Amino acid sequence: MSSSHEIDVKELLAKVDSGQPLLVLDVRNDEEFENWKIEGRRQFKAAHIPYFDFIEDEQAAVERLPRAEGEIVAVCAKGGSSEMVAELLRGRGLPARSLVGGMIAYGEYLEPVTVPVRAEEQSVFEIWQFNRRGKGCLSYIIISGDEAVVVDASRSREIYQTFLSERGVRVAYVLDTHVHADHISGGPALAGKLGARYFVGAGVDFDLQQRVSTLGDGDELQLGQTSIRLLATPGHTPGSVCYLVADRYLLSGDTLFTTSVGRPDLGGHVVEWSRDLFQTLHERMAFLADSTLVLPAHYGDTSEIGRAGVVAATLGELRRDLPELQIAELALFTEAMKRVLQTPPAEYAEIINANLGKTQADPQRLVEWELGKNQCAASKGDR
Amino acid sequence: MKKLDVRGAKCPIPIVKAKKEVDQMQPGELLEVISTDPGSLPDFKGWVQTSKIAVLKEQRTEKEGGTDLYIHILERK
Repeated sequence: MSSSHEIDVKELLAKVDSGQPLLVLDVRNDEEFENWKIEGRRQFKAAHIPYFDFIEDEQAAVERLPRAEGEIVAVCAKGGSSEMVAELLRGRGLPARSLVGGMIAYGEYLEPVTVPVRAEEQSVFEIWQFNRRGKGCLSYIIISGDEAVVVDASRSREIYQTFLSERGVRVAYVLDTHVHADHISGGPALAGKLGARYFVGAGVDFDLQQRVSTLGDGDELQLGQTSIRLLATPGHTPGSVCYLVADRYLLSGDTLFTTSVGRPDLGGHVVEWSRDLFQTLHERMAFLADSTLVLPAHYGDTSEIGRAGVVAATLGELRRDLPELQIAELALFTEAMKRVLQTPPAEYAEIINANLGKTQADPQRLVEWELGKNQCAASKGDR
Repeated sequence: MKKLDVRGAKCPIPIVKAKKEVDQMQPGELLEVISTDPGSLPDFKGWVQTSKIAVLKEQRTEKEGGTDLYIHILERK
């Protein structure tokens, strides 16, 4: 339970997003702060003073605080040090609260947002985008009638379970678009809990130790009064798939983002996977209309969150705007992909093994592996 | 050498307790801090950068059973 001296992630992000005055005081060490910090949909006042500076010389640390209107929210890794700092600030008459659960809670927080669909579709199905703000991961629940499908579930499965049981829907399938390298999939565990079938686009290159349903390119899953079609879209990984809902909404996984394409370099076969990705983007997806709404599994920056709170773009917009989609020749595309080679996500080998069901890591390890934002796009999209 | 066992304690406890100990020590005296919090490695490094009383002489990781122990040797300035 959060006391009046604590603030939870939901309330903090609501304050930041709505532009309420506040000072976010990060009290972690320099390295942790540089790697990963709170981001909002609007600019906000932030300061970084490590908690041990308050222990060493409280007066000097307090003097470093910038002047700010509104309250101070102290943030640390797990909520312990920020609680200490918030308490000593309150002792000096300053309005301060501590972010309960710290960056761990921030990294696990999921925000459900409804994806606007056309008027005639509203009575047929709903699409919910679950925005994992701290990591930039997007997962989905599609509901039609009394049935639901979950796609690319994050590890903390309670919020999905609560959401689904409140709606009283039965989950037929839990699906992953691919073997994620940046976060632990909640898919297999969620499917197990719900008694649903599980499928992941893994392909033959992965040594998958999990029991999965056999689905292939073009297969249709009936969901209430609508359907979901599986499209094989190799590139980011050889087994990557997209799910096309009602012929119009493309859950694009890490194949296509709103500002970039999925990086094809994580398997050490950048030439082969770039060729796959090129064919996927230009041939396999060629039949999709420009009006198709692309709903990706990630975003890189809060500026990608649109007015309705949804991360999405039409395929027409992406065909027009993404430099990667302008390249009409395979050789040039491959060169472009090689140029953007970046460091792989931290701990990605361990995360892949856990997602393949090869390793059973303890929950604490899983939390540590997932710290930080995703790095799944071929470019940052900051243009 | 003095010892401070903060196994099981999470931040900020290890540094709060270490600071209290070092405050009581004579210049040149050493303190061994035993922690189970991996975050203590960068945090002790960060603390001594601004500390007027403590110097970090050594940091190492030891295994005890299945647990990692993070050892920090501090000297009073």
